[in-house]
Amino acid sequence: MRRFPPLGTLLILTLALALALAACGEEKEPAASPEPTAAAAAFPVTVTRSDGRELTIQEAPQLIASLSPAATEVLYAVGAGPQIAATDLQSDYPVEAQNTVRLDAFQPNVEAIVGVEADLIILANNQDNVVEALDGLGETVLFLEVPDTIDGVMEQVRLLARTSGHAEEGERLAQEMRDRIEAVADKLADVQEGPRIYHELDNTFFTVAPNSFVGDFYSILKAHNIAEGAPTAYPQLTQEEILDRDPEVIILADADAGESPQTVKARPGWGVISAVKNDRIHVIDPDIVSRPGPRVAEGLEELARLLYPERFP
Amino acid sequence: MRRARVLPVPDPGADAAAGGEAFALPGVRSAHGLLLLALAAVLAAVLLGVSQGSVDISFTTVVRILAWKALGLGSADWPQAWEEIVWQIRLPRVLLAGLVGATLAFSGAGYQGILRNPLADPYLIGVAAGAGLGATIVLVSGVPYALGSLSLLPPAAFVGAVVAVSISYGLARSGGVAPNVTLILAGVAVSAAATSAMSFLIIANHERAVSVLAWLLGGFNTATWQKVGMVLPYSLVGAAAVLVSARLLNVLQLDEEEAQQLGVPVERVKMVVIVAASLATAAAVSVSGLIGFVGLIVPHGVRLLWGFDYRRLVPMSMAVGAVFLILADLAARSVLSPSEVPVGIVTALCGAPFFLWLLRRHRRAVF
Repeated sequence: MRRFPPLGTLLILTLALALALAACGEEKEPAASPEPTAAAAAFPVTVTRSDGRELTIQEAPQLIASLSPAATEVLYAVGAGPQIAATDLQSDYPVEAQNTVRLDAFQPNVEAIVGVEADLIILANNQDNVVEALDGLGETVLFLEVPDTIDGVMEQVRLLARTSGHAEEGERLAQEMRDRIEAVADKLADVQEGPRIYHELDNTFFTVAPNSFVGDFYSILKAHNIAEGAPTAYPQLTQEEILDRDPEVIILADADAGESPQTVKARPGWGVISAVKNDRIHVIDPDIVSRPGPRVAEGLEELARLLYPERFP
Repeated sequence: MRRARVLPVPDPGADAAAGGEAFALPGVRSAHGLLLLALAAVLAAVLLGVSQGSVDISFTTVVRILAWKALGLGSADWPQAWEEIVWQIRLPRVLLAGLVGATLAFSGAGYQGILRNPLADPYLIGVAAGAGLGATIVLVSGVPYALGSLSLLPPAAFVGAVVAVSISYGLARSGGVAPNVTLILAGVAVSAAATSAMSFLIIANHERAVSVLAWLLGGFNTATWQKVGMVLPYSLVGAAAVLVSARLLNVLQLDEEEAQQLGVPVERVKMVVIVAASLATAAAVSVSGLIGFVGLIVPHGVRLLWGFDYRRLVPMSMAVGAVFLILADLAARSVLSPSEVPVGIVTALCGAPFFLWLLRRHRRAVF
């Protein structure tokens, strides 16, 4: 299992960082992109968007506006950092993303997006029909919704890499992610039934069901998700159901809202839960496990350590 | 503009007759009988609420757990988790729902009586918007608002509600008088301002939008004994104040000037009822979020069934409000089990058709 990205990716990232830093010295004027070399031959690229429409990109985009934090992470990871002209307010990783022009994906401002003059706009949701609005203005819009599975993430990594002119790096990154995920799965090959888990999204007991993107982590980890059988991907459980289904591990994704192992232990009635009795309540950074980007492998390894401390020392 | 209406008669006997005409409840002749029946209905609803849930625990076991926890009777031979579910989760949840339902209902009746406006509800003059703004400020500020004992959310919502009502009332009052229309308009304006401020905060901090929305929709899924204890004093004092004012509320329905001539201290009654109902509603909203419909419809339903006399309207509204919200919450946690549905959706979805049916059935002046 490789813990570090290959040397080539590191070099490209370093170059990206240097260029991004240079760029922000020049009033955020997007730097001229280094000519994608071999990748140029890969164009035109045709992909299918989440709304079913086909999009053909004639040549490698020089200026990209990424209104998706996950896509931003992927683009930087495959070396498209120098081409990124704008990102949305939630794109906080890697930090150089915050030095690009910032756009709002939640309340999208079409004028501001068009003003970036990007030759590729990436959107993860169609808030206020912004996709149609930008299509109508003749912009090149890559509309990619959040995938439901971790396999879907790898697909999007490849797709984003191809459309930005970094197909090779994308293949390499996806393969590396797959290797890390398989390494985790291999260590769990002989596990029949993993621990019962409850993944808390907020303190009104919203959680993730197995058919959600986050839920897929737990399926790979062979954990028994207590929200199994819930009618929606992100259901709200009743407290009595949580007590009755008795999770053995509780994963808190709501630490930024003030929840902690201590506050969970202090909840009336929760003392009967195995996870509380055995002190197996853990905090996780929600960005790593809920963002379908290159860090999902890291998130899976982190969860594996929390669920199977004896197997992942 | 004065509508002709049947004056409430201050004689209990005649009242029972009027009630009987509105809704024939066999075997119940006296006002006391009706109240006893209402009390029994509340108890039955509590028992039903505690015995039902997504986890299947038999009725006898639930009763035995209650007897064991409350009176020390019997012996504990059930899983520890069941005891916690019944005593720490279901019972406070059911009691809180009942308490909030009763509070919203008597506050609604009080507001409607004092403002002499059928559209009045406990949220009209700023409680809802103020509480929402208070809660939103805490939710977006990044201050920890944990579920534990130190939660900032209820106090913030309470303060927001009280501040908003105080502003409405203060703006409307001049020369010791707060005319109804001025009060309502001031309330609408203050609510609009608070709501816009809230919307702005949500937009500016949209990563917290879901938390705010979840709070606004309201519900009892985080009910604790502590929350019951927080609301209870306000509800008791508020209910007592509105009940004591019931006879004066009856007279007030004539006309404010006439009531004044009859010796009713109109402005003082108004202030007592508004303060009592607002504080109680603020306390209820601070722990349950904004549950709509109960405060508006329950008093009207009670009027249709048992007449206009506030001495009966207030206690019966409390009973019906409690039963209604307990059952609505039961539905909220059962229909999509093991998931929850926001209780506000249930109150509107089930309450509205029933109320419309009542309206059609009686075809008489509602207010």
